[in-house]
Amino acid sequence: MDKMHQFESRSFRQRKVLTLQKLEKKKPFSRSLSLISRIRNLWSRSDSSSQRSPVPTTNIAVTPPKLKEEHDKNHTLPRNARLGIVHENPRILSDGESEEISITSTPGSREDVVSAVRMRNRQRRYSQEANKRLSLPADMRLPSHRSRTNLSSPEGQLSRRSRRKSLSEIGFGKIESYTKLDKLGEGTYATVFKGKSRLTDNLVALKEIRLEHEEGAPCTAIREVSLLRDLKHANIVTLHDIIHTEKSLTLVFEYLDRDLKQYMDDCGNIMSMNNVKLFLFQLLRGLAYCHKKQVLHRDLKPQNLLINERGELKLADFGLARAKSIPTKTYSNEVVTLWYRPPDVLLGSTEYSTPIDMWGVGCIFYEMACGRPLFPGSTVEDELHYIFKILGTPNETQFPGLSKNEDYLSYNFPFYKPEPLINVAPRLDGDGLDLLSKHLLYTANKRCSAAEAMKYPFFNSLGPSVHRLPDTVSIFTLPGIILHKDPGMRSSSLSSTGKIRRQSMLF
Amino acid sequence: MPIPVKLKGKQKGLRLRLKSVPLATACIVYHRFFKEYTLQQYDPYLIASTTLYIAGKVEENQVTLRDVVNVCYRTLHRSKPPLEMGDMFFALKETIAKCELFVLRALQFRVVYNHPHRYLLHYLTFIKEWMEPYKWDELPLARTSWALLRDSYHSTLCLQYKPQHIAVAILYMTLESHGADIPFEDTAVTPWWKVFAEDITLDIIKQIVGELINTYDLEMISS
Repeated sequence: MDKMHQFESRSFRQRKVLTLQKLEKKKPFSRSLSLISRIRNLWSRSDSSSQRSPVPTTNIAVTPPKLKEEHDKNHTLPRNARLGIVHENPRILSDGESEEISITSTPGSREDVVSAVRMRNRQRRYSQEANKRLSLPADMRLPSHRSRTNLSSPEGQLSRRSRRKSLSEIGFGKIESYTKLDKLGEGTYATVFKGKSRLTDNLVALKEIRLEHEEGAPCTAIREVSLLRDLKHANIVTLHDIIHTEKSLTLVFEYLDRDLKQYMDDCGNIMSMNNVKLFLFQLLRGLAYCHKKQVLHRDLKPQNLLINERGELKLADFGLARAKSIPTKTYSNEVVTLWYRPPDVLLGSTEYSTPIDMWGVGCIFYEMACGRPLFPGSTVEDELHYIFKILGTPNETQFPGLSKNEDYLSYNFPFYKPEPLINVAPRLDGDGLDLLSKHLLYTANKRCSAAEAMKYPFFNSLGPSVHRLPDTVSIFTLPGIILHKDPGMRSSSLSSTGKIRRQSMLF
Repeated sequence: MPIPVKLKGKQKGLRLRLKSVPLATACIVYHRFFKEYTLQQYDPYLIASTTLYIAGKVEENQVTLRDVVNVCYRTLHRSKPPLEMGDMFFALKETIAKCELFVLRALQFRVVYNHPHRYLLHYLTFIKEWMEPYKWDELPLARTSWALLRDSYHSTLCLQYKPQHIAVAILYMTLESHGADIPFEDTAVTPWWKVFAEDITLDIIKQIVGELINTYDLEMISS
């Protein structure tokens, strides 16, 4: 009964509002002392009752918070209690707690431990690794007066920790640090603005996520952030910063001029084959990295591939991406935009894995090479119809379970013979057609993987060194790899007037 | 105190019909949070409710905020009548919505984990093929190991070891407790656990099993 009262009054009334300040809250010194005594208690306890378990290491197996009762009951400390116990398994208390304990056992350094600065550092340190992507790249250009005052340490060299601290003092994580410019687009759960960082004068993309208190933060936002922070690659968009205010959560991304759809529009849908190759390779490179990290993108489409002036292509919008796990039925069926959606998903398959992204790659490859979408269906039936018309109506061996698939049977498709891809994509050479056909397969696990696709002869002209680049290095650092001028590229004034989407001059 | 919180958390989770993986995520988020902060700083019940809600979102098994609030309230105040729509309800709802972002920030948005579940499942299918069918049918190996795995989340085991190692150790414990042997184990060149996870040693297994046993002991002390 007592506990219930606690729950009601303490948590939900007094602590109703949690603010960022609490995160920074200094932990009183007494707390860490009580922690020590708790651990000591544990030591004595497990010492006296050590016969219960045959395994020798059990005495350090307990986390300090579990010991509240023991701590309340008993404060005595046996003489033989060793503080070193913590270090036998440092992972238990690895985040600061153990450090504090070990330091407090030498009385001389106590003042240091409780000083505000140290406490702050403790929290920062935990987030160091995590923060790598959330802050600026190492080569950030800071305004000179700032960098002089804040970013230089006495040794003249920045330790990572002090840089992190300075970053927040400079203004990272604050909405005031960014100027909002034009609106770039609106998604289902977020609005994207072009912005400018007041700290670095760099352009950024601000993805503003409205927080409706009905259901808290959208799950797509949570997933996007948690996945993106572990993906660090030259072909994946960089997340610089996260800003949380009362009404919104803003993700600060690097800014890229346009997406692939705009790029294709701007060049009148005729791209140079060299550029197709470069973009496709970069797409595969980014995707191979994601798949290696067991992350599916699930929403590949030209609108989600961002391109900068130099020609660097980056995967964006991981809102629907997800860490790969045992295929479960919980995947929602509405995932990939219809045009780039594989037939198995269209027919209701929910057990998918990395091949789901590869179908989309094939469609995008075709679209870049031929200047029009491959399967521009408006409904599921329409989409399947387009697919079957070109690739032929599948049979049971190509598509196991097809004859029992209720969706398929209900559509009652006519029988189509597969059309040779050369007729569909006349601009592609033999290598290109070979690669395209490996992506557009009905059997999901026969589709080539992103890593395999990068090795295809189609990319031989890029040279062997593209395969040896470190993850975070762009392929444009290699000599000889440059974006060519696209034959259809018009001057910007023309392209805005004569913009007829999806009309190829090749057909 | 934290163990009852976890138990309550489980009950809530089960009532919300969450699957085991989101529940596991909730547990990890909870442990990670309280590794950073002490129980005195923040209310464990509130954090537990919030982690459940976050886990539902992360693992695509979303539960509505309304359900979380109702179920949590019901689990914690079993003697009281169910919560009515009113100020209290909305206050609770808002608290969890706010607390959600707070927890996410505290954990630096690191909420996607690799759980031992799929490894265990994978290993179990191997074991099934190795064993004589009658023996597999006789012993509830799968059920025991699954239960052990679920219980392992009462401790911070999940933060300390690799998921593969936890899965192997739990399998080891299951086989031990049922007195089952892997066929031809005495003549095999590599022990079976090496087959599943190359970098595992018997010491690690024993350590994990020991900690798991210890968790059960602790549970007994506190109840």
